[in-house]
Amino acid sequence: MTGAALRAVKWVVGPLVVAALAARLGQLRGEAARAGYFGGASAPAPADDDALRAAPLRAAGNATWALGSADSVKEIAKWELDRLAEADVDRRVQLLLRFGIVDTNPDGQAAIFGQVCVADPKVCDHLKDAAERETRTRLVSPGNHLPLFFLAGHPHVPSL
Amino acid sequence: MEGQAAPARSVPRSSRLAAVIASYAVAAALGYLVGVKGVPPFGAGPTSPRRAALRVGRVLGQAEPQGPPEAWEALKSDVAVVREDWPPALGKVFDLVVAARGLRNGGKADWAEAQQLCRALKWPRCDQAALEDLRARSRP
Repeated sequence: MTGAALRAVKWVVGPLVVAALAARLGQLRGEAARAGYFGGASAPAPADDDALRAAPLRAAGNATWALGSADSVKEIAKWELDRLAEADVDRRVQLLLRFGIVDTNPDGQAAIFGQVCVADPKVCDHLKDAAERETRTRLVSPGNHLPLFFLAGHPHVPSL
Repeated sequence: MEGQAAPARSVPRSSRLAAVIASYAVAAALGYLVGVKGVPPFGAGPTSPRRAALRVGRVLGQAEPQGPPEAWEALKSDVAVVREDWPPALGKVFDLVVAARGLRNGGKADWAEAQQLCRALKWPRCDQAALEDLRARSRP
């Protein structure tokens, strides 16, 4: 190697390599710091990971249930139901109840509450209580009172 | 001439060594700074929708999320990535939650924007008290 080439390695290539390695190290440290924002230092367990990823949709669904129009409630519940994990029975039941409560068609309500019974037969035995719990978390009409479907004398959804 | 050249050679050798060490140290320091700051091509790169949703979800799950300014800044791009995945009809609902929870505003609610979005959605109530309730209830 000539003297010029050695000098180039020593004064140009060497510092550039060191700079690049240090930059990569800094990049990794920066990424680790960003991952730790808002208490996210450790990697979540797979179940928590799924729950966190679903959280934006769930938060918007809950906000819509609190204040949204019936159309918005149905729309977001439908979208969330389409994406919901099979194992998340509690949320499925909750969304179906919300959908049914704001539905104005008695036949439609019967069909939706029937789906609740399919999703979770235990809830089916206390359907009215479960629906009442949901209505208490809604701030606007329709849906902040039990629908006519649950009034005395109305045929109950048969358990499947 | 030779008598003058010998001492002149030994002094530059030690100072050359110091100069080499200094240049490598400066290169390392500058490189590290570039990496930490995320200056291209050492930037964070595009955030995957999965990671973005995870981070946004984590913040939405907290009643009063706390983070340094750079954390809120990073959250803005995560919110944008998550928003892309929403259908147009429901995008405004997500925007409303983002405004009420202050996800683009350091955690402080943007009530004016929230009210505007609520009215655009034609929701039954869009007053301040109702939106404050929405902020409290917009948790997963």
